[in-house]
Amino acid sequence: MNTVYRFTTLTLIMLALAGGFSQKAAAAAKAENLVRGVVGPFASNSSWSGFSAISLIPGAALIPVTSTQTVFYLGFTAGATADISNMVLYTTARGSSTITAVTPVTLGGVSNPSINLASSTVCPIIEISNFNPCIVRLDPTKIVLSATSDYYLVVYFTPSDSNNGLIGATTPTIRLSSLMGWYVSSNQSQLTVGSPIPAGNSGSQPEFLMYVMTQ
Amino acid sequence: MKTFYKLATSALTLALMMGVVAACASAQTAETAALANLAEGQGVIASNGNPQWDGLSEIVLIPGSALMGASSTTTALYLGFTGGSTVDIDNMVLYTTPRNSSMITATKKLTLNKVSDPSIALTSKTVCPVQPVSVTNPCIVRLDSIKATLSPLDDYYFVVYFSLDTNNETISGIGGSIDPGSLTGWALYGDQTRIGKDGALPSGNAGVGPYFLLYVTNQ
Repeated sequence: MNTVYRFTTLTLIMLALAGGFSQKAAAAAKAENLVRGVVGPFASNSSWSGFSAISLIPGAALIPVTSTQTVFYLGFTAGATADISNMVLYTTARGSSTITAVTPVTLGGVSNPSINLASSTVCPIIEISNFNPCIVRLDPTKIVLSATSDYYLVVYFTPSDSNNGLIGATTPTIRLSSLMGWYVSSNQSQLTVGSPIPAGNSGSQPEFLMYVMTQ
Repeated sequence: MKTFYKLATSALTLALMMGVVAACASAQTAETAALANLAEGQGVIASNGNPQWDGLSEIVLIPGSALMGASSTTTALYLGFTGGSTVDIDNMVLYTTPRNSSMITATKKLTLNKVSDPSIALTSKTVCPVQPVSVTNPCIVRLDSIKATLSPLDDYYFVVYFSLDTNNETISGIGGSIDPGSLTGWALYGDQTRIGKDGALPSGNAGVGPYFLLYVTNQ
């Protein structure tokens, strides 16, 4: 009988503790914004073959939300297939343009995905447009963003590619997000530590990058 | 000795369970106890470009992408007034849409003192402690908090419809702020508070700060 009491006691304690932990886990699992994302309505910017879209995620704009990973969302307003040659996230010291770290960014496990924008699995509302942009969630990147660093997401679209001539990027018409972006007509996704971030930031809202979230 | 052991075991079990429950409860209370902004509110009070509000609706976008991660089970909206004597509200609602969509998926009724068509006496010191109400002494009215947890995956639209009467011809809101935070609003003729589920929100958002909605907080 003593054994039964002991077993019951132990079980009850474990259940009670497990309940507490699972509540915390559930709270941590909720999707949260890491910075203030873009707001519609959107315009569109087309023809991205051979261009790099660069987006600044300022450390100064980070919302103090706990996260072990970072998830980027890209928005497309036109096109059938987006052919990406490479995606990276550069880290710099806050306010600096010198790259201190390079982190690969992937979709479906690869950093050079082709995104089928005509598929209703990828883009639930077909046909995509300024009013119904296709929002593509990239794979979670194992990086914890720090308020003392700045981050630059670079997406390089495959050059001489007819598909990319037709794709459109979400271009916010209202300036409300913490994100900024610009583009350069060459591959800016192969820069190494110590290199400078390409110039061109004029404070415009980002093209393609819509949200930076915990999941 | 056996009885003592059983009693001790039971007491210890009960104490531990109560401790865990109390810890969870107090953590939740602490989370909800502090006033926190759910989205960045308007930082500067202005009173620019107010139309005559009789028969007009104001629509304000609270973007899911702008939510700042404050944990909350309730949402409180604050309105700011800079002029007028009595505000006659016909109806107030909070619409939910998927993020960046104009299709309404849910509607929540909003109230002040439990009614959705309140009259607000701006000349009353009980309502507006500093008289007279002006741009420098705005009257900030907190609506009844609602049981709603805002999600970053949705957008929310606050809509207030002002009755078609003479009182509303002279009221003005804190609109036209140079620092609208993450809120944007616009005015539209007619009652925009009774759009049904799957209905479409009217367009018109030009990225200007709201006229009346000042803050969105957890309480």
